[in-house]
Amino acid sequence: MTPQSTPGETTTDWSLLARIGQRDEEALSALYDRYGGLVFSEAKRILRDSGAAEEILQDLFFQVWRTAERFDPAKGSLAGWLLVAARHRAISKLRQKSGSSEELDENSVSLDLNIESHTTQKLLLDKVRNVMGSLPENQREALECSYFEGMSHTEIAKKTGEPLGTVKTRIRSAMETLKKVFR
Amino acid sequence: MSNGEHVRWEELELFALGAMPEDEAAAVRAHVSGCEECAAQLAQARGQAALLAFTAKQERPAGTVKAELMARVRANREAEQRNAWPAKLASGRANEVRRQLPETSGAWWKWVLVPVAAALAVVSFALSWQNRRITAELEREHKAAEALIHDHERIEKLVGVLAAPDTVTVKLAGVGDAAKSSGMVKFNAKAGIVLYTAELPELPASKSYQMWLVPANGAPISAGLMGPGGNAWGNMWTAEVAANTQAKAFAVTVEPVGGMAQPTGPKVLLGAM
Repeated sequence: MTPQSTPGETTTDWSLLARIGQRDEEALSALYDRYGGLVFSEAKRILRDSGAAEEILQDLFFQVWRTAERFDPAKGSLAGWLLVAARHRAISKLRQKSGSSEELDENSVSLDLNIESHTTQKLLLDKVRNVMGSLPENQREALECSYFEGMSHTEIAKKTGEPLGTVKTRIRSAMETLKKVFR
Repeated sequence: MSNGEHVRWEELELFALGAMPEDEAAAVRAHVSGCEECAAQLAQARGQAALLAFTAKQERPAGTVKAELMARVRANREAEQRNAWPAKLASGRANEVRRQLPETSGAWWKWVLVPVAAALAVVSFALSWQNRRITAELEREHKAAEALIHDHERIEKLVGVLAAPDTVTVKLAGVGDAAKSSGMVKFNAKAGIVLYTAELPELPASKSYQMWLVPANGAPISAGLMGPGGNAWGNMWTAEVAANTQAKAFAVTVEPVGGMAQPTGPKVLLGAM
């Protein structure tokens, strides 16, 4: 028999993962409903291809099903891992790299924010967009080139014709501003 | 790269963001793999960089993705269960025999007990095998009964859809190389049921005809295959889509066997609502 959540109970990611570890399909379904949209949107933003983004989405959640017991609540964030792993795979696909060369350890992402409900996700979404909106255009562009296109600072410098040092400074300043989200 | 022994935070940020050239990234990767402190810092930097995912336009994946995922998960679980059975049986029997053996080595009666234990293990294995066979037979019968009930319910539903006043008929006309072909769709938006039939030329074994519902808004939705992998009912094919989907047209394309998430091949039939 698989454990079930009672109505009104806030089901944390970790209790869902514990149930997935006991082969509870409903728990995986709930986790997919919680983060599927975020993961898909990120992968689609990178690849600009719904089919390819859906493939990454499905493979990631299937990996969660197979390796649920490897996630450790004391070490990492499941939501953070999903987002970072989706990006890794999408960038590998975009740049025609072999996806298996650097598999992301299940506990290698720490995200000290609770985004376990769609309400908290929406709040964070607004907050991140506000912070990003406050960045100078060239800083935002540098961040997006790195995160969504997988470009190194050297490649960004080449693309924009700016000195490498300027690009590095822009990225660092932008990352410094992004920290405001955690405050 | 490093300040003393560790990687600087700014560099970890660049690494997490993917902004570091590969040669520098390789050096960071090598250091972090052996340094718990930097690994923990990198986890923080990765979490911070992941916030950028929130700047992407939020969209929903197609409903079929979750259905495919859950089918994959179910198949995986069934395979795990099948593989776990013989292993449990074997380890259980071995432990049982071990428990029955006395601690003292070299006792003369061990020579009597060992063959007896072995004989018991053989009998136990035979009984287990018989038990497993009967269980499998019962399971097959149970599944067959369930399938019959399911089929009966499905037929009732489909007959109901064909007779329903809100079921619409869409005629499909051949296009391109299949100009002489034709087809017909019966669609009930409320129930999300699509029934269809078509006269189309034979395809090579590597290809399938795939039906698409073209919604009023958004990308085409697969309405199943006409051939292996499709749902046949008499001389019609059937598919279920989300209830209350507003269709503006139906189309059939040629796709690789097994179908695609979105149309990729040539269109052979088309019909507007």
